[in-house]
Amino acid sequence: MIEELRSIQHQFGYLPADQLQKLASRIRVPLSQIHAVASFYPHFHLTPPAQAEVRVCSDMSCHLRGAIDLKRGLERAFQAGGPEKVAVRNVSCLGRCDQAPAMSINDQIFCAVDEQRALTLVRDVLSGRELRSEKYDHRRSPVASDPYKGAPQYSVVRQFVENPDWAGVIATLKAAGLRGMGGAGFPTGSKWEIVRNAAGKDKYIVCNADESEPGTIKDRFIMENVPYLLIEGMIIAGLVTGARRGILYIRHEYEQPKEILQEEIDRCYRDGLLGANILGSALAFDLEIFVSPGGYICGEESALLEAIEGKRAEPRNKPPFPGTNGLWNQPTAINNVETFTFATVILARGADWFKAQGTNGATGMKFVGISGDVNRPGIYEVPMGTKYSQLIYEYAGGIVGDRSLLGYAPSGPSSGYLPASMADLPLDWNAVAAAGSMVGSGAIVVCAEGRCMLDMALNAVRFYRNESCGKCVPCRVGSQKLVEMLTGWTEGRASAGDLPLLDELTHALKLTSICGLGQVVPVPIQSVLKHFREVVDEHINHRRCSAGVCFPSRGTA
Amino acid sequence: MSSWPTAEIKLTIDGQPISVPSGTTIFDAARVNGIPIPTLCHQQNENPVGVCRVCVVDVGQRVYAASCIRQVEQGMTVKTATDPVQAARNILVELLMSDHPAPCARQQQSGDCELERLANAAGIKEPRFLRRATPRGKDDSSAVIAVDHDSCILCDRCIRGCDDIRNNWVLARRGKGYQAGIAFDNNLPMSESSCVSCGECMVSCPTGALTNKRVVGTQLGEGDVLDPAELLQLPIFQNVSGTFLELNQKAVVKRHYKAGEIVCREGEFGSTAFYILEGKAEVFLDSPIAHVRTEGSSRGFFSKLQSLLAPREGDRRSEESDRPFIPIDASVDLPYDSPIAELNPGDMFGEMTCMSYYPRSATVRAKTDCVMLEMLRNVLDILQRNKSFRAQLERNYRARALDSHLRSVPVFASLTQDFIDHLRDRVELVRFNPGQVICRQGDLADSFYLVRIGFVKVSEQRPGGELVLAYLARGGYFGEIALLSGSPRSATCTALDHVEVVRISGEDFQLMLDRFPDVRQKLEAIARERIEENLRHTVQAQNVPVDQFLAQGLMEAQSLLVLDLEKCTRCDQCVRACADAHEGVSRLVREGLRFDKYLVATSCRQCRDPLCMVGCPVGSIRRRNTLEVIIEDWCIGCGLCATNCPYGNINLHPFPAELDDPARPGHKIAGVRVKATSCDLCHDHAEPSCVYACPHDAAHRVNPPEFFAGLLAQPAPSKVRS
Repeated sequence: MIEELRSIQHQFGYLPADQLQKLASRIRVPLSQIHAVASFYPHFHLTPPAQAEVRVCSDMSCHLRGAIDLKRGLERAFQAGGPEKVAVRNVSCLGRCDQAPAMSINDQIFCAVDEQRALTLVRDVLSGRELRSEKYDHRRSPVASDPYKGAPQYSVVRQFVENPDWAGVIATLKAAGLRGMGGAGFPTGSKWEIVRNAAGKDKYIVCNADESEPGTIKDRFIMENVPYLLIEGMIIAGLVTGARRGILYIRHEYEQPKEILQEEIDRCYRDGLLGANILGSALAFDLEIFVSPGGYICGEESALLEAIEGKRAEPRNKPPFPGTNGLWNQPTAINNVETFTFATVILARGADWFKAQGTNGATGMKFVGISGDVNRPGIYEVPMGTKYSQLIYEYAGGIVGDRSLLGYAPSGPSSGYLPASMADLPLDWNAVAAAGSMVGSGAIVVCAEGRCMLDMALNAVRFYRNESCGKCVPCRVGSQKLVEMLTGWTEGRASAGDLPLLDELTHALKLTSICGLGQVVPVPIQSVLKHFREVVDEHINHRRCSAGVCFPSRGTA
Repeated sequence: MSSWPTAEIKLTIDGQPISVPSGTTIFDAARVNGIPIPTLCHQQNENPVGVCRVCVVDVGQRVYAASCIRQVEQGMTVKTATDPVQAARNILVELLMSDHPAPCARQQQSGDCELERLANAAGIKEPRFLRRATPRGKDDSSAVIAVDHDSCILCDRCIRGCDDIRNNWVLARRGKGYQAGIAFDNNLPMSESSCVSCGECMVSCPTGALTNKRVVGTQLGEGDVLDPAELLQLPIFQNVSGTFLELNQKAVVKRHYKAGEIVCREGEFGSTAFYILEGKAEVFLDSPIAHVRTEGSSRGFFSKLQSLLAPREGDRRSEESDRPFIPIDASVDLPYDSPIAELNPGDMFGEMTCMSYYPRSATVRAKTDCVMLEMLRNVLDILQRNKSFRAQLERNYRARALDSHLRSVPVFASLTQDFIDHLRDRVELVRFNPGQVICRQGDLADSFYLVRIGFVKVSEQRPGGELVLAYLARGGYFGEIALLSGSPRSATCTALDHVEVVRISGEDFQLMLDRFPDVRQKLEAIARERIEENLRHTVQAQNVPVDQFLAQGLMEAQSLLVLDLEKCTRCDQCVRACADAHEGVSRLVREGLRFDKYLVATSCRQCRDPLCMVGCPVGSIRRRNTLEVIIEDWCIGCGLCATNCPYGNINLHPFPAELDDPARPGHKIAGVRVKATSCDLCHDHAEPSCVYACPHDAAHRVNPPEFFAGLLAQPAPSKVRS
């Protein structure tokens, strides 16, 4: 159904009601169900779009790099033309945190734009000029852990075809201590074992390449530079678990990685690495790409499965888990891009090699994205155990303008913010968890001295509010009420009862939400209350923002 | 007993050791052991979805579990009511209450809003969260169910009721996050959606988001009130929710009629429809089919009583139609020559009276002893939307009415039986709600339509505003011009009230044109005439100073009788001349609106929007191609057109008639009946008599745009041309 909707939108520019009606009778799906899906995904328009649909990313890294002013500038410039000419809206993280601020015009993404360039681009669209899409440099960056040094050999698959020792594969992954790199950190070997042992005639391998959390850009880098490691990881997962079909679920904003992956998949089919008889054996595995219709919630594994099934991407109640009841209710192994990639690396180089990569007592490797107030934002492949201070000052070149560090998020909004005093924490699952945060997906967002941490917390909570699917009450209503409360704090409308109420709300969100999104909604503000209490106090009690960010009537505050 | 092997699961709930079969949910395990867990989204007859989270319990894991959907596990320890669990639940209720209008419709009606009950129990009075800033809106379009999105808590109970229980698939969620809501079909108003009014959603709703609308009008006085169980026995009520019928119990009654008893009488106003369960009934027109002609003295009140009826041959009106059938508000049409037909079990009549409160179109009399259901609008709406009833309705229509319906259209007179048989299974009955556009001027044409129920407004957008070409009643047809010419739709057709049309696909229409060349010829001639006429009006309308006349309603008119008050001596010659021309009854009153030095006398203005046509139960009032109003001879004298005319220009003329004696059935007594007449512009004279008769050259019949344009010395068209 998603594909059908996409093709209607491609033809008409939006989804006209009569076309939905026709689709309903053609594919024999009730109109209500089609509308339910069409109205859920931000990628679909139910009304004719403006001539220029302008979207400015407003989340963490772009927020730090002037997204608000960029959006205001665009609104000012094109207000007079009317909404049918130019529609300027916010959009959730576009996955270009290393090149902030990012924006899109009619679904084409532009990075590191300033107001002048943005205005020119929009005017170009209005005058009917075709926009040239921005592609990155095609040269691939070398990846240190790549066992093939840029020349894919698929030796892990070849070896498995010769000697299909699935138990050995699982044992190696377990020995290497490989954990899910998407954020939750579930041991990968165990996950594959569950699927291997689950009863079901059609099993599936699904790759979650929907990274949409603000600051998370590492999967994009992996897909562009070592696509073959990811694909090999999926094939081997299929062979080990007995799944014959793989689906690579990629966010629609990743046009270029998608093309690169498709090229690699086509090559694999040509070389007999995918298809009915892999390398002439009786083993079979098919792999296809599914382009997401959009929304952070699709990164939640069960919501992602719902999206593939052509439904609203609403997380399922768990248990049962996807390992036994996944796609089309069949056993499904869902892993993140980085997890599949490291699975290949480990199987090619051995568990011992992987474990030896860590430092400061940690084991393994990790790709991290560093963005925000740093000199060299980007994606770095680092040994586990590296100190965050090292990541910020050595890898990412230190803080912009030689300012001092105020705080950082180890993994986007869901990890909350840690203060500068905790910058020497090692990139280690246990150590960061002990500090009340998490390594997560390694989306490090850095805030320099002079930022308002309450404003940053509000920005993060607002992201969750925008991306809530609305299925369960705590997240749907709670995230909105929390945004309203925090907005009140930044605008001089704090109530005496707010802080205890915030704690009660946090309790309910964490314990009763269906999925991780709802559970982490209060994390950003709770982390700021814990580590930057004085910032909250000055806002609530004195209606003052030292950073000069909050309160519209700043002069009188 | 099921042979499914079920293992016994042992667990502890609130310290109580419990043993239940595997597969049981925690919610059910607790319930059967006397431990109630509160919930909003869960009810026993629906699959659990776990979205409200109010039923969460502590199972000793990182997060709480929704007990309605989580199954018991061996050795599980469940705590359903610890302080932290209660605190979390209360916050959820408080969150919902902050967006809930309390008391909501349900709380007001029956005091059983489940959310407000939970809030009261938890002592939540004024929620501490900010209230929703922008309301989510109401949908009042359905005749039987009120929708208040503001009261909705998105528990999905209505959705599961509609989709899983009734398999109707009309309801679903729409939007995402805080903007999410419920939607009918493509987010349509409920009445425009494919909703079948089964009532399941309303019965499922825990709050005031979906509530029963109170019965319209009064409850029915006579007849036996039916038990919902009894109604559900009838196939036409299949799949309607029993609770829903209970709520509407007094809106439908069973009535018994003895043979010969009158069920309803033509011309009477009513608000009910009838469905025949047993027996046969006759439907017929009681009024004689004739025009009113008044003879004798041209003076005084008594002249009116001398009005006589003239048969069509004796008083032929120009453009009078030759339709062989008279459309009535029942499942059959009446033959013009002998206006009587039989109704059988399974037939329905009075739908239009019931839905739109029009007068009864015909008299119905029990032929044998009869049992009928008499119902008010909300029950009729339920029926009309019910799939099994609709199927029956369509079957009946195809079998009995399609023939006469098609043959009523003069240009289709030559259609052969085999072609009508071909159409029989291919036509489609489609419903429209008041205000809904059926086809739009400028759109591409793909169908031809016959009107089965209700009134369709046919209008054109012209400079100077919308011009209503016609109100089509049952038996009317539209959509042929565009199909014929292959051009876009020339007019917009809008449902004026509850409309049901018979759709004939463009494909079948073309087939008909190919097979019947004379049909094509006739249609082409009509289309040409229509186009020429349109052109004429367009030219006239282009130089009109619109605003000045609008206030007086004069722009509505296509033709006016104006008296130049500077010349007029109030001699009333015009009034007399009118009476002379119309057998003693003047259709002209020398009173009316004044504009400048002119008096606009009261006579038919041939309005742009001829309101008089709306509601005629037998479709006997219509427009000629010149836009003048004509009243056909099968008028039943109900008087609705006279009431509808805003200018008082339609008069009811009494004539002597033999009537049934209410005291002695079967006997007749002398009485007076009425028929409507309007100014006919003296169709058989060269000039209207009133104009002809004026000795002072003060009376003029004028076309308002032309006349007033000259009067106001608007920029002459010549300037435009230069």
